[in-house]
This record gives sequence, structure tokens and C-alpha cells, in this order.
Amino acid sequence: MTTVLVVDDEPQIVRALGASLRAQGYRVVSAATGEEGIAAAAAAPPDLVVLDLGLPDLDGVDVLKRLRAWSSVPVVVLSVREAQADKVAALDAGADDYLSKPFGIEELLARMRAALRRAPSSGGGQPVQRFGDLEIDRERRTVALSGRALHLTPTEYALLEAMTGQPGKLLTHVWLLRTVWGPAYGDESHYLRVYVRQLRRKLGDSAAAPRFIATEPGIGYRWLAEPEPVAAQERPERGEGA
Amino acid sequence: MRAIAVAVLAPAAATVVALTLPHAGAPTAESCYFLAVVVAAAIGGLWGGLGAAVLSFLGLNFFFVPPKHTFEVRGVEGVVALAVFLAAALLVGGLLARAIRERARAEEREHQARTLNQISTLLGSPGTLERTLEQVAALLVRLLGLSSCRIATADVDVGVRSDAGDPRGGGPVASFELSPADTNVGRLTVERPRDEPGFGAGERTLLHAVAAQLALVFEAERLDRTVKQARLEAEANRLRAALFSSVTHDLRTPLASIKAAVTGLQDAGAVFEPEQRSELLQTILEETDRLNRMVGNLLDLARLRASALEPQLQLTDVDEVLGQVLHRLAGLLAPFQVVVKVREDLPPVTADPLQMDQVLTNVLENAARFSPPGTEIVVSARRSQSRVRVSVADHGPGIPTEERERVFEEFYRRDAGSGRGGTGLGLAISRAVITAHGGRIWAEGVPGGGTAIVFELPVAPDVPVGPAPGAVDGGNGNGRGNGRREGSVDGPGGLGGSEG
Repeated sequence: MTTVLVVDDEPQIVRALGASLRAQGYRVVSAATGEEGIAAAAAAPPDLVVLDLGLPDLDGVDVLKRLRAWSSVPVVVLSVREAQADKVAALDAGADDYLSKPFGIEELLARMRAALRRAPSSGGGQPVQRFGDLEIDRERRTVALSGRALHLTPTEYALLEAMTGQPGKLLTHVWLLRTVWGPAYGDESHYLRVYVRQLRRKLGDSAAAPRFIATEPGIGYRWLAEPEPVAAQERPERGEGA
Repeated sequence: MRAIAVAVLAPAAATVVALTLPHAGAPTAESCYFLAVVVAAAIGGLWGGLGAAVLSFLGLNFFFVPPKHTFEVRGVEGVVALAVFLAAALLVGGLLARAIRERARAEEREHQARTLNQISTLLGSPGTLERTLEQVAALLVRLLGLSSCRIATADVDVGVRSDAGDPRGGGPVASFELSPADTNVGRLTVERPRDEPGFGAGERTLLHAVAAQLALVFEAERLDRTVKQARLEAEANRLRAALFSSVTHDLRTPLASIKAAVTGLQDAGAVFEPEQRSELLQTILEETDRLNRMVGNLLDLARLRASALEPQLQLTDVDEVLGQVLHRLAGLLAPFQVVVKVREDLPPVTADPLQMDQVLTNVLENAARFSPPGTEIVVSARRSQSRVRVSVADHGPGIPTEERERVFEEFYRRDAGSGRGGTGLGLAISRAVITAHGGRIWAEGVPGGGTAIVFELPVAPDVPVGPAPGAVDGGNGNGRGNGRREGSVDGPGGLGGSEG
């Protein structure tokens, strides 16, 4: 059974989350302070942590940093704060995702599922990833949409690879810039803007009604499409028209 | 002192020169003495000139007018010559001294006027009061050679010291009251270095004038504060009243529905059809969302009031923000046909993406609130010269032309009491945000009936795309160069390769 550690000092939230998550088949452990949460995570490592940023004793970002010192457990951050700087700080400190309070439980479940899916060293499996009619062959570094090969520049391809490596996860500007452009980058979110637009155009995606790449304004991007499992032997015939 | 010295020395020098000159007669000596009088008047002023004139007269009489070495004068001619010399010397010495004095005065007056002018320019320039006072004090220190200058009132205390002055002080000090409207509000205190002369009458006049100017500035500042305070208080009172009615009515209404639905579901005796049950749950969901939006709007209003709504500007694409907003409002917009018309080449704007999100959210909520279910809501964004124009058009009842400006007022509601109203803040906040971004927002009619809320923001200036990443991937090797020149990612054989 999947164990979820909920760290929040509001008993009502803990109660509501506990009931809803248990009903979904999760085992729920709760902690009311940051110290308690860290201790609980150390005593019996959970499969996922739901962490409130506004704790009475420690700042949630500090809890996250201490947790990340020894654990790579997926963490979904909850916060009533609206400032994007806080969200970015939490994500950069190692949070997998965030939700602003109040939120719907189905939203939380979706984020939790995405975070859990990534947890066991994903990406190392199949060389071919398929998202509906989009297919990425990481071995050959080719991309095809509806069977037609797409011509991507190296930057566009690297960006696509970085995003599809963690479907559903909110990827911050800084993370994407460092991953795609290199460790010296981080402030150049306008580069990202340009390349994401190019990529969207080639993928036939629309910013106003995205199918693949969603923008979290001021924070980052999220790869929306769910990956489909591709069996190794049924490697499809592609690019007939190309 | 100087006048006496020059009055004695100048004629003495003239005597020596005239005596040493060979064959020098009375006319030559007369010229020498005349020069002495002019010099004495220039250096020693009126008294120096007059003194030198008298002594020159005596010297001329004694040494050069026969009989020499006596003060006797022989003949009418000699008397006349001497008398004319005396009169001319007195006249020239006096006139010259006066002219010189006048010029000095004019210079000092000009200097004062310039100083005062510089000070009033400083006082009129924008910036904080303290910074301005510091500049004034520094100017006075420089122009008057002060060791220190201090301007102090109950609220501010600004002091400037020159590097040259003796830090222990002890030099001549002058102090002036700053008293607008006969009340002493502060003090201007100036000090000279220890070994320098005190403040002359001219300087005192100047400092008095400066003090008067400073006093006026303080008075204006005080009045300004009072007026602002009064205006803020009046506004706060108005808002408090509006907020009070808004909170009591609008926040309690959804709470009442939620409580009614929950207690209904909790009632052990009640038997619900699945349909009724889901209806009650739907009510709870919708009403909590509504409450959340209202709280958000109230918070925004508070931030707006506290002027904390400073935009964090960055390159922002309206269509991306729109995507996020449409996703979040999917539930609210489900009953309508939402049509999005955005051109792909829409240029970005320089804006705070979260605040843009807020504006689009408010405007779309507003459209949803007034549209009959099933009707179209058209969201379009396009370039209009140097601006990006976004419009959200609904097919609701429309707004009469004369009311179109009022919908942007705080707490204005078109349908008070109908139950579908919000807090009456959404559009007011949107206007504040758009205005802070240098844009404008307005309401207009839609052909066939309905309302369009339209806003415009300046197109962001061009930004360089920057280099392509240096570390794309080992397999791609050279990734440098600009995006357009990058080659295709497909390596040889990569394209269309099939396992067959």
C-alpha cells in the first residue's frame, strides 16, 4: 500500500485529506510541525510527502531542503501563498509540484499520481516514448507526429527531451535552462519562451488550449500528455511520408 | 586700518618718485600725486582716497610749489593751482571709491540672488524632503565656506559638515528660525571654521532669505500631508462602508448555501436520490469556489490600497496566460461556447504574468456571470499597431452606454440583489492592474447585443533570442549558433528509418 505523509498544522485539512486519500486506497500518516514531519519521514520513509509551506515551527522550504539532504521521496507542496517567488523557491528546493489552497482533491490526486509515477528512476526504460500521435525515439533522436517526421533543431529537441522526461511535472524556468542550455544559465527565461513557441508550432500545439505543453505563467512549463507504454517489439514503422 | 595706511603710503611714494625724477617740476609731481590718490581710493575706499588727497595737497605744496620746503604759497596762480588740485583729487578719489563700493555690492547681491535661485531650484526638484535638504545644506556649505550647516525640525534633522572645517567646531555661529505663519517649526544653524571672520550683514540677509524659503517648504509639506491624510480617511470610510455591506451580504450568501447543503446531507433521517445528492454536492463546490474568488478579490483590493500591487514585469504571452486561465475556469465556463481567436504571431507584452492571469480571470468570470447558458463567449487577442488588444465578448444583456464607465468602479454591481453578482471588485481591480501596466481597459457594446471588455497593453520591445545552448547533447556536438541556423536533429539514416 502506498504511504503518504501529510505535513500540515491545520487539523481540518489533515482530516479532510486523510479521509479522501484513505478512500482512494492510500495509507496516510500525518505530522503537525516541520520537525515532526522530518522525524516521521526518517522513522518510516513514506512513498510521497504532502507538505504545507506555512508550518508553525519551520518554513516549509527549509523542511524541504532538510528532507532533500537525504531523501528523494516525491514531495507535493501545498500553500495559500500566492506569490510566485515562494512557489519557485519550493520547486527549486526540490518539490515535485505545488498546489495552491484551496484545491480540489482530484487535482491533488492527479499531481500525486504524476509524482509517484516518476519516482522509481523513470526515463531509463523505453527508448521510444509515445504521447498519443507524438512519438519520440530517444535512441535515434527522432520525433514523429502522426507518422510524419518532425525536423527539430538541437535546442528544440533537447527541450522536448527535458520536458517529456518528466511528464506532468512542473518544470521551472531555471531547471529547464540549466538542463538544456547548461549550468551557467538561469535568468534567460526569454530564450525558453522563444523555443517553447517554436516547439509548440512544430507540434501543432496551441498556447491557449494546450495539448502537450502547458505554461505556468512566471514559473515554468508542464508536459501535459500522458505517456503510453510502447512495447519494444512493436516498434512502429514511421516516416513513410517523409 | 588699511585706509589710513594707504592714505599715508601712497602720497609718500609719490613724493619719493617725484623727488628722484630729474628735472621734475610741479606739473610732474602733480601727476604723481594724482595717481597716488586714485590708487589710495581704489584700495582704501572713500577715506583712503580723501586722506591721500589731503596729504598729496600738503606734499605738493611743501616740496614742489615755490617757495619750496614751506607751506607758504606765493601769488594767486599758485593758490589757484593748489586749490584746483585739491578739489580734483578729492572729487576723483571720492567718485572712484564710491564706484568700487557699488560694484562690490552689486556683486554680492548677484551672488545672493544666484544662491537663492539655486536653493529654490533644489527645493522645487523632485525627491525626498531629506535628500533635498541635504543638497541645500551642502550648497550653503560650499558657497559660504562653512564648516557645518544643519537644518532641523521635529521630523527631520539634516546636517552637512565640510571636510575642511575643524571637527571640534568653536568657530563663529549663526542661527535662524524657520517660522512659517509665526510658528517656529525648526532651525537653520550655520558655522564657520574657527579662525575665519563671522557672518557679515549681506550673508545674514541671504541666510534669512534661505530660512524663509525653507520655512515655506516645510509648511507646504505639512499642508500636503494633512490634505492627503484627509482624503485617505474619507476614501477609507467610503470603502469600509461598501466593504461592510459586501462582506455581510456576499460572503454570507455562499456560506448559507454551503451550510444548508451540508446539514441536509448530514441529516440522518433524510433519504436522497443520487441525483439530489450530487446536486447538493455541486452546490457546495460552486459556492466554495465563489467564496474563494471573493476572498481573492478582497485581498487584491487590500493590496491595491496598500499600493503593493507592483507588477513583476517580464515578457509575457497573452495566449499562454489565457491557456492557463481557461484551464482553471473550465468548470465555470462549461455551460458556454468559448471561442478563442488568437493569432499565432501575437507579439508578447511586458507584464506581470500573474496579474495578467488575474485580469483575464476577472473578465472571463464577469462574462460567465452575465451570459445565458449556451451562448458564445469570444476571447480574441490581436496586434493593434504598437499594442496588443484583448477582447472578451459575451452575449449577455449588455450595458447601457452611460453605465459603461461605472462598471470599473469599486463595488459597482449591475445586478445587486439578483444573486449572481460578485463583489463588484473584479473589473475595478482589472482596471487598476492594466493602468499600472501602462495600458487601458474599457467596455463596449457587441453587435447583436452583449458586452465586450477590451484591454490594450503596449507590445514588448524586441528582445534578442540569445545563443543556442552550448551543451545540447553529446550526440549533437556543435550546438552553437543561433536558432535559425541550427541543423535538423535527424542524423543520417535517422529519418524514416524503419525496422521493417
